[in-house]
Amino acid sequence: MADKTLSRRDFIKLGAVGAAVVAGSRMIRPAEASGSVEAGPHQWAMVIDQSKCTGCDYCTLACKAHNDVSPEVEWNHVQRVGTLDGKQIFLPRPCMQCAKAPCVDVCPVGASYYRPDGIVMMDYDRCIGCRYCEVACPYEARSFNWTAFEGENPAVPEWGQPEVERRPRGVVEKCAFCYQRIDRGLELGLTPGVDADATPACCVACPTGARLFGDLSDPESAVSKVLREHSSYRLRDDLGTGPRVYYLPADPKEMEVES
Amino acid sequence: MIPRLRVKFTTNAWLIWLGVLGLFLLSGLIAGLLVFWKGLSLTNLSDRVPWGLWITIDLSSIALSAGAFSLCAAVYLIGLKRYQPIARTATFIGLIGYTMAMLSLLLDIGRPDRFWHAVVYWNKHSLLWEVTMCVVLYLTVLVLESLPILANFEWLRARFPKLAGRMSHVHHYAPYLAIAGLGLSMLHQSSLGAVYGVLKARPFWYKPEMAVLFMFSAVVGGISLTLFASMLSARVTPKARVNDALIERLAHFVGWALVGYLYFRAWDWLATTYTYQPGRTEGLDLITKGPLSFNFWFGEILIGALIPMILLLNSRTRQHTFWRMAALLMVVGGVVAYRWDTNLSGLLIVLSYLPGEPAVAYASYAPSLIEFLAGFGVIAFGLTAFSLGVRYLKVVDHRVAEEEHETVTIKASETVPV
Repeated sequence: MADKTLSRRDFIKLGAVGAAVVAGSRMIRPAEASGSVEAGPHQWAMVIDQSKCTGCDYCTLACKAHNDVSPEVEWNHVQRVGTLDGKQIFLPRPCMQCAKAPCVDVCPVGASYYRPDGIVMMDYDRCIGCRYCEVACPYEARSFNWTAFEGENPAVPEWGQPEVERRPRGVVEKCAFCYQRIDRGLELGLTPGVDADATPACCVACPTGARLFGDLSDPESAVSKVLREHSSYRLRDDLGTGPRVYYLPADPKEMEVES
Repeated sequence: MIPRLRVKFTTNAWLIWLGVLGLFLLSGLIAGLLVFWKGLSLTNLSDRVPWGLWITIDLSSIALSAGAFSLCAAVYLIGLKRYQPIARTATFIGLIGYTMAMLSLLLDIGRPDRFWHAVVYWNKHSLLWEVTMCVVLYLTVLVLESLPILANFEWLRARFPKLAGRMSHVHHYAPYLAIAGLGLSMLHQSSLGAVYGVLKARPFWYKPEMAVLFMFSAVVGGISLTLFASMLSARVTPKARVNDALIERLAHFVGWALVGYLYFRAWDWLATTYTYQPGRTEGLDLITKGPLSFNFWFGEILIGALIPMILLLNSRTRQHTFWRMAALLMVVGGVVAYRWDTNLSGLLIVLSYLPGEPAVAYASYAPSLIEFLAGFGVIAFGLTAFSLGVRYLKVVDHRVAEEEHETVTIKASETVPV
């Protein structure tokens, strides 16, 4: 998408929209189950702080290595969204893991489905590659494997080792909050969001700590606390998709302190 | 004009016709095999425009097959029995159309080896699942409805007379098959529009009319194709015999149906012209002022509906063979244009998900050579199947069917009372 420059006025307008939802966003959100699936004990969420994001792309590279993603595909796309007081603002976009995901609704074979912890999963053995989910997703979070990803992954080993199977040609793929790291971490008694080995690779790789991960069911988790203390927003909240990725809007004062 | 149009197909012309179709079939087959071997990277489809020419052929084939269910319902359920011979042609066209749809879908999905998954793994929330199930079931209905037609094959009747007799006997269940066909078709013909209409992320599609308009245009286009194909067959080969009075009366109905269709289309268009809505307004501009505007104003509205409506309602042009055929062909073209424009207009408009101003980006798409070759191959398959049907199965023969029809009337009155 073309780079856009946000004028100061636009950004203030944006802030006003943010302020309107502050009352809601600062309250403790009850952990909402996805679709009609019964909620499990954990409800994972990600918080991305735009004041801290420098657009270094480490998250994308770590994602590509750990999930063995083709160089042609990005599960986590970092975009330049404009400037604020001369500073570049970025917006990384993983899969939103929507609570009311259009992709889950439309998949003719049920290859997209909710886990009880809110992760929107893909069954790559079931997907027929019709690409209806791509058409339905408002976030362009899905990629089709137009070609087979063969040969070496240029992100490996510098950015990590693959932890999941490579997807075949002809299926649609997407980010799943590194469910493999969460599941293995929980088995080992680790806490996702706290212990690096149980946390999505993008959050671990972020050098500025712009990405937080954790359990919304736990009021003491980092994500619950941050969402309580800061105003946040979600992408295309108006669509009612209920994303599990929250953004803290860029604050120029905070950015000055950072730089 | 009429005598000049009456070109009798000699053996040579028939062989040339089959040869041309054979070339397209062969190139289509090669293109299809290449797609299965090398994958969809051979197409110009992308993550932003993942559906293109093949989905248009798929949607158009299904829409233009709608003559089958609507005419069967008219004949066997409403009781307009005189149209039975035309319903017979429509049923055969339906069988071909749905097979074409299956072929283009097989090309279009990334994992054709898993085409059966929708039948086994159900997602009842998905309109595409519902469409797939209906299409599979309706194709079964069409095969059953076509058995009496296939029983007309001379070779089969000579070699397996008993089997041919059994196949003809299926015709006795025509009213039950018509009920199944009506239900299944009303479901998936509308649902194909709803496949687009339920997507909130695509404001230009997101409206309840999509289902109704797809259904309406399918019935109009499907009957038009059946009538046009019947008339053309009767022009070019003595194997096809039509009752022109029947065709004319149905063509008159198509003219009135176009009035209703234009009424719905006009309000569909007008209602979206008021107030700016990101994505929707850009989509409307795309089809009314942008790159799709010629398709829309000429292909869909003027040539696709308005002119044929006048030609079919005006008794002088309707009774004129050339103008009636031209009008019916225009309606068919209009339905295809509608499917192409609908699919593309929603996909080419990419609505930003970034916060703040709702920015709109434009994607682009033009089919690749492989897409064209494979697509033409699917169409050539349909034309070949219909040509063979006309020549060997008496698919367009209003005299034969009338005889059959009489026996059916008697049998049905004996068995039907419950």
